[in-house]
Amino acid sequence: MSLPSDIDVVVIGGGIVGLSTARALSTDGRGVLVIDEGRNAGTNANAGSLHVQMQSRFLRMYPDQIGNLEYSLPLYPRAVGAWQQLARDLKADFELKISGGLMVAEDAAQFAFLKEKAERERALGLDVHMLERNELMAIAPYLGDAIYGAELCVTEGKLNPLLANSALRRAVLAQGVVIATETIVSALEQRDAGYLVSTSRGQVRCKTLVLAAGAGTGALSAHLSVVIPTVAEPLHMNVTEATSPLILHLVQHADRMITLKQLGAGQVVIGGGWPARFEGPQAFPTVEPDSLIGNLSLAQHVVPRLSRLRLIRTWAGVNTTCDGQCVLGALPGHANAFVAVPGDAGYTLGPLVGDMAAAIIAGRDPGFDVRPFSASRFA
Amino acid sequence: MSHFRFEGREISIRPGQTIAAALAEAGELALRDTRSGAPRGVWCGMGVCQDCLVTIDGEENMRACMVKSAPGLTVTRQAFPGQTAARSIGAKPITAGDLQELTPEILVIGGGAGGLSAALSARFAGADVLLIDERSVAGGQYYKQTAEGAGPPLDRQQREGAALVADVMASGVQIMAPADLWGAYAADLFFVTHNHQTYRIKPRQVILATGAYERPWPVPGWTLPGVMTTGAMQTLWRSSRTLPAKRILVAGNGPLNLQVANELAAGGANIVAVSEAAAGPGLRTLGSGLALALSGPALALEGAKLVLALKGRGIALHWATRLVAVEQGLTGLRATLRNQLGQDIFVEADAIALGYGFSPANEIARALGAEHRHDHDKGHLVCVRTAEMETTVPNVFAVGDGCGLGGAPAARSEGLIAGITAAGRLGRSVNVTALAAANADLKRHRRFQKALWRLFDAPEPGLSLCSADTLVCRCEEVTKAALDAALADGSPSIAEVKRRTRMGMGRCQGRNCGPLLVAHLAETQGRPMDEHAYFAPRGPLKPVAIGDIVSAGKPR
Repeated sequence: MSLPSDIDVVVIGGGIVGLSTARALSTDGRGVLVIDEGRNAGTNANAGSLHVQMQSRFLRMYPDQIGNLEYSLPLYPRAVGAWQQLARDLKADFELKISGGLMVAEDAAQFAFLKEKAERERALGLDVHMLERNELMAIAPYLGDAIYGAELCVTEGKLNPLLANSALRRAVLAQGVVIATETIVSALEQRDAGYLVSTSRGQVRCKTLVLAAGAGTGALSAHLSVVIPTVAEPLHMNVTEATSPLILHLVQHADRMITLKQLGAGQVVIGGGWPARFEGPQAFPTVEPDSLIGNLSLAQHVVPRLSRLRLIRTWAGVNTTCDGQCVLGALPGHANAFVAVPGDAGYTLGPLVGDMAAAIIAGRDPGFDVRPFSASRFA
Repeated sequence: MSHFRFEGREISIRPGQTIAAALAEAGELALRDTRSGAPRGVWCGMGVCQDCLVTIDGEENMRACMVKSAPGLTVTRQAFPGQTAARSIGAKPITAGDLQELTPEILVIGGGAGGLSAALSARFAGADVLLIDERSVAGGQYYKQTAEGAGPPLDRQQREGAALVADVMASGVQIMAPADLWGAYAADLFFVTHNHQTYRIKPRQVILATGAYERPWPVPGWTLPGVMTTGAMQTLWRSSRTLPAKRILVAGNGPLNLQVANELAAGGANIVAVSEAAAGPGLRTLGSGLALALSGPALALEGAKLVLALKGRGIALHWATRLVAVEQGLTGLRATLRNQLGQDIFVEADAIALGYGFSPANEIARALGAEHRHDHDKGHLVCVRTAEMETTVPNVFAVGDGCGLGGAPAARSEGLIAGITAAGRLGRSVNVTALAAANADLKRHRRFQKALWRLFDAPEPGLSLCSADTLVCRCEEVTKAALDAALADGSPSIAEVKRRTRMGMGRCQGRNCGPLLVAHLAETQGRPMDEHAYFAPRGPLKPVAIGDIVSAGKPR
């Protein structure tokens, strides 16, 4: 395909954020082109957890970011609401289920840690409850004997990202948005009041530019001399063959890296942030066998019935990390170039951040004090 | 006579029968239901397609074609999506470091013609060799051995295989079988699960001899129970001495179909017809026939005998026809065979063997990053190798059909060359005479194979024989219409088609639909058919139970 030579808005990044932004801008009546590299990363490789409570992994790994996480915490229940709204708007069934999320503890110390976490989260408006083992087993009988108790976050859930991404993509196309896939941006230049975007399929001029490329955003903003320290974090993922409904909740662990959930069609997706790596000149996200063993071993420890289920596929997803907080708003020194990178659990935040970005671009109130999200904090 | 129970019914067992064989003999060809409720039975018969899954003694997702029957088992038909047995105690978490590590000098993956001869020649040179195979009895698809207790070898092919297996056993090659090799992460890092325990294998040299599996043939009705690959039907007969039905139709392209039709007929089957896609002997193929006779006179003669034997048995052999549809009739499966003029022949049978060529099992080589090129004549990827059979990944050798189809005799020669060379790399003395002889043999076998292909040359239909509701992906039940819909919007890459349709996400891990889709995208979008055109290779290389993957301890 060839690109249009001139368009109102170019959104770089065709993941959940880019498509959500494009959808909202196009609804506002603007002509939008979405450019995407077509890599199997980010949204394309996401597993569909809807996170609300603070993930213990981040608390452990980035203790310096806890303040940022807590500031953003009220966004997460809203983000789940944005997903529900999206499902209604698109009239699409992407197996979205607000089934509740459990963070399990294996002993009294872990339980105490969760209790403290829950109190802070409740103060910030989250619907969380502590469950002793007998209460827990009443709602999650699939958990193993090793589990002591859990924190339940009522508004967490899951969806099928393959169905959700397809539904959103179809809707965006139906609105007249142009999507250029397998297209690589090589340069960004400010021209007159707008921007010139050079790509592997030619050049396009736009009035408004939106960078929504997840971990790739930093490299793009560098073309405009703006520092955004996005880092790509390759993470291990597993999926099993389908089985009858077994794991009802989104399951995480207070002290160890695991997420477990079952898709509507019966497959169990197992992740939790075990490391993968980038391989070769194309930086292909590649699985580490040590992560596979460790991750699966923990999974069958938490849910023993997974033991006889067969692993079908592993892959490396790509998470974007920055400083635990969204990067959202006009680029410093640019009136018509914007950035939209969600904070942690970016897929969960995606539709909300897309809507907020579109509001900011249109000069409307994004509904949240986004000043701390400005990229100027990295200058 | 002993028996097991299937859905409450007593199923008699003869020695050596797999679950699938015993059930087929009892007339039970439909073994499970898919998500849509459609019945499925054996398709590949060799552990690839995952279509014959049954529940055995409460353990779900067992491949009926790979599990031996045993008295007293309770086998049940599986409805989608199955159910894991209750248990509340999980094993203590382990790390990869807890796994037992094996450090053979040479790891040979695959116990067929190529792997056995590679293991043997490396062992003769003095190397410490570990051979692993998916099946409990080595021999692979060509030498397909009679299961223990099922009877004496049937013919020269099985005797030759039995002798090779016996030589390997006596030579001191260590054999781990049946074992699932599910992880290939580097030339010196493999993971294999054997007897419910996982081992990390760190070899110094590796020889891949993974063979091939049969290609799908997507036409209306190809997923009906009773429709299986020619190889699956041959395994039932050669390994288990089982005929899946009385009236059998054999349809395909290539000499294996003629051989199997004769074998089944000799075993008592009523072969209602044989359909061959190639045009058959005539002026056009005179040259190929001659080349065949010159490069492999014995095999060429055997080939001619196959055709005559069919005639002698009164079996109709339809050249230049192909199977274009199957439907379930009241009294059996009704197949439509169509010739080049579009004229149809209708044939009724109780089981149908489809043998339309092979795909190389190159998942391990591709996972290791070995370079592959697309071969237009063969229609599949071919592994790039040196004359010594080394891939572009140092210390990784590859032999036989997994590198691109070449036939069992060539695989044996390639195995010899790789085994001798790999042992030489370890400082063992190289048998120069044997190496030269193997190279000369290989040249001849390759000439023979080339002539054979010309003789059996036939057009590839791709997806052109599909109707809108024909499944192009058996596992995820993706119809041709669903694929068309996914392709209608933009020019999606194969990864994007996978995400949109779930093709390649099922239990066979894309082995059936992958090559079909690559060819279809090349045809419809003009995409190159190079190694990047395929689904990215991702572990596990076969589905393995999570509890077995993370078991470092003693067998259960």
